[in-house]
Amino acid sequence: MPIDLSIVGESIPVLLKGLRITALVSLIGIPLGMLIGTLAAYAAQSRTPLRPIALGYVELVRNIPFLILVYLSFFGLPKIGVPASAMTVAIGCTAFYTGGYFCEILRAALQSVPRGQSSAALSLGMTYWQTQRHIVVPQLFGFLIPPATSLIIMMFKDTAIFSVMSLPEMTYQSNLLTANTFAYLEVLGTTALIYWLCSVLMASIGRRLETAARRSTHQT
Amino acid sequence: MLDWLNQNGALAPFLHGVVEGTAITIAASVAAFAIGIVLGVVLLLARLSPYSPVRGAVMLWVSAIRGTPALIHMLIAYYVVPALLGISVSPIAAGIGALACNTSAYIVEILRGALGTLSGGQVAAARALGMRRRQIWRYVLLPQVFYRAIPPLTSELTILLKASSLMSIIAVPELATVARNATLQSDLPLQVFTVTAAVYFIILFCISAVSRLCERRVSRMLPNAH
Repeated sequence: MPIDLSIVGESIPVLLKGLRITALVSLIGIPLGMLIGTLAAYAAQSRTPLRPIALGYVELVRNIPFLILVYLSFFGLPKIGVPASAMTVAIGCTAFYTGGYFCEILRAALQSVPRGQSSAALSLGMTYWQTQRHIVVPQLFGFLIPPATSLIIMMFKDTAIFSVMSLPEMTYQSNLLTANTFAYLEVLGTTALIYWLCSVLMASIGRRLETAARRSTHQT
Repeated sequence: MLDWLNQNGALAPFLHGVVEGTAITIAASVAAFAIGIVLGVVLLLARLSPYSPVRGAVMLWVSAIRGTPALIHMLIAYYVVPALLGISVSPIAAGIGALACNTSAYIVEILRGALGTLSGGQVAAARALGMRRRQIWRYVLLPQVFYRAIPPLTSELTILLKASSLMSIIAVPELATVARNATLQSDLPLQVFTVTAAVYFIILFCISAVSRLCERRVSRMLPNAH
């Protein structure tokens, strides 16, 4: 089966148009999810009634397929009177899912900073916030960056699922192209290649940040 | 609650279909996981090969799988692979194949991580006892690698089970497909997807519970890591 390069060439601009939607959903949804995850991680550490809520939220995210969450939101929300466009559901689901995983990652990172260090800082007369600012948070990045990079790549790839609700992201565009041309090999291959290049780029940025974080914590 | 779920019997066919859909979800996931483990071991041995092209091919495979969405793997397995090979493939075979290939890339990294925790002295000792390379793998390394890999492997199984819902894209009649069809027929999406989410939750929660149990057992069996 020979590869028809003209189809590859024609599909690239269409796929890149879809990539813009994919990127938009990722750029809004993932940081929003990290914010939710940070709040959930501190809630899970607290001794308040928020703790079981945060832990329950993490269990929900870990034990329900992303696709089912997307279906439930997209078809279910209008039934309870919440207007839900494909775009809001996409951003909302991305944030909800990222939040659950980021909560776990941040909790693990917070536990990785030896407790003796905060005790030592407090006994030197530093306040709680000074300890967080100068001792805990700078070290956190070293522990956070590798799993957070994997999470970002995972969520970026999962945006492909939004094609089921006709959000015109990259996978949806590739579905349209294959429906018109039947050139599955060319179109799906090109789509996979674009996803791959983006993931490799993100992974390499992650590695760079990791090295930088390690260097900066060794210097201080 | 039951009234809300039942809606005058409108969901009865769905609730029957859930059982069958769940069975297909579990069977397909277990099959894909089993194939994934075999592939993972083969890839691990290839990854440690002295020939750099072989190592490079494994690294390319791992990077390509990890850098692309599972949904795309599903579509490639269903549309592209049969066309390239000139064969016809049933949706379920394509689905299992895609999931197995997907999970193999993660499993090889898990096994490699577990292998890294073993001390090199064991291989030296086994060699000094006159064991061959194949015997060292069979009797010394692989059993320990699998013991150490139980926690990450079970979490990989839960990820695989969640990803198995993507088989609905190629119309494998598993749980997510049953749910989507029921929504089209009854127009009760909230009920249908809440039940579906609950079924997945229960399955995955059980796997995590069994995993924690295994982990405790294994940590007792392997008191020191080196």
